[in-house]
Amino acid sequence: MNRRTPRLIPGLGLGIVGIYFITPLLATGVFSLWEGGDRYGLSAYAALIHQPKLWQSLGLSIRLAIETILVGLVVLVPAVFWLNLRVQRLRPLFDFLSVLPFVVPPIALVAGMTTLYTGPDWFVGTANYLVVPYVILALPYTYRALDVGMRALDLKTLTEASQSLGAGWFTLIFRVVVPNLTTALIGAALLTIAIVMGEFTFANILLFNTFAVYIDYIGQTSATEASALTLLSFLITWLAMLGVLVTGRSGRGQVQIGGAR
Amino acid sequence: MSPEAIPPAGRIARSGGWFTIAFMAPFLLYVTAFLILPTLMLLATAFLGKHGLTLHYVRSLGEGQTVVAFRNSIELSAMAAFVGIVVGGLTAYFVLLPGMPRGLRSLVTTFGAVAANFAGVPLAFAFIATLGSLGIITVWLKLIGINLYGSGFTLYSLPGLVLVYAYFQIPLMVIVITPALEALRREWREAAENLGASAWDYWRHVGLPILLPSLLSAYILLFGNAFSAYATPYALTSGIVALVPVAISNVLSGNVMVSQQTGAALALGMIGVMVVVMGIYALIARRVGRWVKR
Amino acid sequence: MMAGDFTPDRRTVLKLAAAGSTAALLPAIGHAAGISSALIKAAKHEGGLNTIALPPDWANYGEIISTFEKKYGIPIKNAAPDDTSAEELQSIRSMRGQSRGPDVVDVGLSFALVGARQGLFKPYKVSTWSTIPASMKDPAGLWYGDYFGLISFGVNMSVAKTAPQSWADLKKPAYKGMVALNGSPLGAGAAFAGVFAAALANGGSLDNIMPGIEFFADLAKRGNFDPSAATSASLVSGQTPVVINWDYLNLAQAKKSKAMTKIDTIISADAKPYGAFYCQAISKFAPHPKAAELWQEFIYSDEGQLLYLKGFAHPARFSAMAKAGAIPASLMAELPPAKPYGEALFATIEQTKKAQAALTENWSKMVKA
Repeated sequence: MNRRTPRLIPGLGLGIVGIYFITPLLATGVFSLWEGGDRYGLSAYAALIHQPKLWQSLGLSIRLAIETILVGLVVLVPAVFWLNLRVQRLRPLFDFLSVLPFVVPPIALVAGMTTLYTGPDWFVGTANYLVVPYVILALPYTYRALDVGMRALDLKTLTEASQSLGAGWFTLIFRVVVPNLTTALIGAALLTIAIVMGEFTFANILLFNTFAVYIDYIGQTSATEASALTLLSFLITWLAMLGVLVTGRSGRGQVQIGGAR
Repeated sequence: MSPEAIPPAGRIARSGGWFTIAFMAPFLLYVTAFLILPTLMLLATAFLGKHGLTLHYVRSLGEGQTVVAFRNSIELSAMAAFVGIVVGGLTAYFVLLPGMPRGLRSLVTTFGAVAANFAGVPLAFAFIATLGSLGIITVWLKLIGINLYGSGFTLYSLPGLVLVYAYFQIPLMVIVITPALEALRREWREAAENLGASAWDYWRHVGLPILLPSLLSAYILLFGNAFSAYATPYALTSGIVALVPVAISNVLSGNVMVSQQTGAALALGMIGVMVVVMGIYALIARRVGRWVKR
Repeated sequence: MMAGDFTPDRRTVLKLAAAGSTAALLPAIGHAAGISSALIKAAKHEGGLNTIALPPDWANYGEIISTFEKKYGIPIKNAAPDDTSAEELQSIRSMRGQSRGPDVVDVGLSFALVGARQGLFKPYKVSTWSTIPASMKDPAGLWYGDYFGLISFGVNMSVAKTAPQSWADLKKPAYKGMVALNGSPLGAGAAFAGVFAAALANGGSLDNIMPGIEFFADLAKRGNFDPSAATSASLVSGQTPVVINWDYLNLAQAKKSKAMTKIDTIISADAKPYGAFYCQAISKFAPHPKAAELWQEFIYSDEGQLLYLKGFAHPARFSAMAKAGAIPASLMAELPPAKPYGEALFATIEQTKKAQAALTENWSKMVKA
């Protein structure tokens, strides 16, 4: 690359976007430190951290997020792969299915699911049951992320090349396609985490105490603690995602067929 | 001919029916069981009156404030998606530029993922604390002589909502479009420049056309995301800006009255809108796909 | 059910209290008449109670729950404190047959009727049944009102300086950008009641909510109306310094935030106040039916009803208890003045439906920020 990349416009642009994103968080932060009248301090945070319910609900949500990612990817990756490789004519169907979760009200989805599927007891009574609708709720985002990623690959060439070298389907998917999808997979995973951590209606109606339910509860009962919790949850989710990103990046091999990175 | 002698290419050529089932079945079964069936159950109630089937509720979609709600929702989603595409696309592009500091990308990606779902009451509270009538920025602007609310701006309006929606639209775009941007090979840019193209020429003839399918795909996602949001506008404007998801939530999961049929009819309307939007998208995609070999 | 046949008659109570009647002390020792030891034993045997949608700061439910747990040794699992009434009914349906399902619910009137119609409730008449006003209970015992409140203004005094005393006061320029509801009148119970209350103060009636909509349209035009959904956080922070909400919520918030900021609760002087009651019901699929019955008995005993009053919510048996002298003077002193409670108006289900239709048609059309 011989061209000097002008740094001014991108830097300025990113700076403005950065200010837009940070300011509301700052405003929330200022309020979270307020203790009445003119006093400021960390009492809201201290009160929060000492509540066991905070960590319990957080742990539950993180666990559900990981399970949702796994189930979601297992179900979606083969389907999106085959869609892009062979059956592009099914794309309108996939597009439609992927936006359906946007337009069906969550409470209607709960009602439908719980009417249709009432067992087995050992599953439906546990919080893991939430993974089933969560995969659906994350579907629009995970599908798009994977689809955009797979479209960016030349799947046909990749497939023909590997199969002419004697690779079977298993090798093809796990050792050729997936390593090239790292960015898309991570994106899908991150979006799923965000959705699961923020999902409220299902957990509320099915009486599970997830992080979002806890945040809402605090928001109803205490003013400054709600703001403190908002920032805390922002921070915790952010750190969780950095964790995902770092493990995702470090584990990948350097298979670079056709993609510039 | 023994199976071992069949060339590998033959294996691909003969894959078809069974393979399709194997790859697609888990997904299709899952979606049918847990999405399509519950949706059908919901839509059925849209046609159930007190004495059997009726079109009453569906017809009421064309009345008064319901029409306003649909118009507002479509406008809001279209604008919020557009802002997300443009600002998010540029942000993703800037972050991926070769000269940028190393950690920036991870920072932006992860922050973006959190911000993409930072919606509802906390987001509304944060924005009211910033730009509400007693917000930090509003007060600060008043100190230096600018009366924000006096000059007609208000956070509690469609433009205000677009401003707030951008907070989760932009990061969503960044995350979704990054893989597509990464696939734009440097060699193509260099080749174009060697042939004498300016930056504008490159984008117009090479970059954007290649990106277009992914841009359209992202637009659908952003539109749907904005279209379905109800916690944020409810917390911010609590119903003075008529919006469809807020109306549905009022009537299906509220505290005043409950009406399954009205909610179902409204959801049916939302599905109709999304089908139309996707139809437009399919038309554009087909015209674009014609000359990009894929 | 008709409004208006509800007369707490505070003056009688105060007279009795002034006469130093020690009979006004809490009947805290032993079980209230009517709670049989057989019921207690059966409830204890079930081992627990599942409640939902009972926030601890709402009508003193926190203390009610802990008192019940201590008194009968039955642990209570309280989930989903922020459920709306619609979600509570859905919880009953969705959790049918599961041991985690809700045993009892506390829902708004229109939802109590829907639940009864859909066969979600189990009938049970508490031992104090006869002292619950007829207008507040289902004749078959499927649901019964537990407490009621009036619409009030919660005012953050450090931001608002002077508290509005009437609906007309809200229009003053001093309250520019300050007045908020707790949500949409089509989705939030207190917001709906707020518009109705405004209607009563501006020439409307229980059959005509339009003057209330016009009031808020005018308030918005003057720039006094803040359309965001007020929460306890926004009241205390001063973002929404004047919140129209139930009296018991404003009063409880004031008590809780005393250390941070002063919050006054005012019941408007210029109109008959608007009130609404919530209803208790036992789920038909309750995993702990006997514990649920015991819970109801406790709530409707003098002790339970007084705990509501301690949370500033007027219990359903208020007038009966007042006549019987069962309300201590010290508790009465903490409450707002008595007159409005005797004059409170409650809408019937037909009036609610009519008002809701008017709101759907006109609210977002007429009220513009």
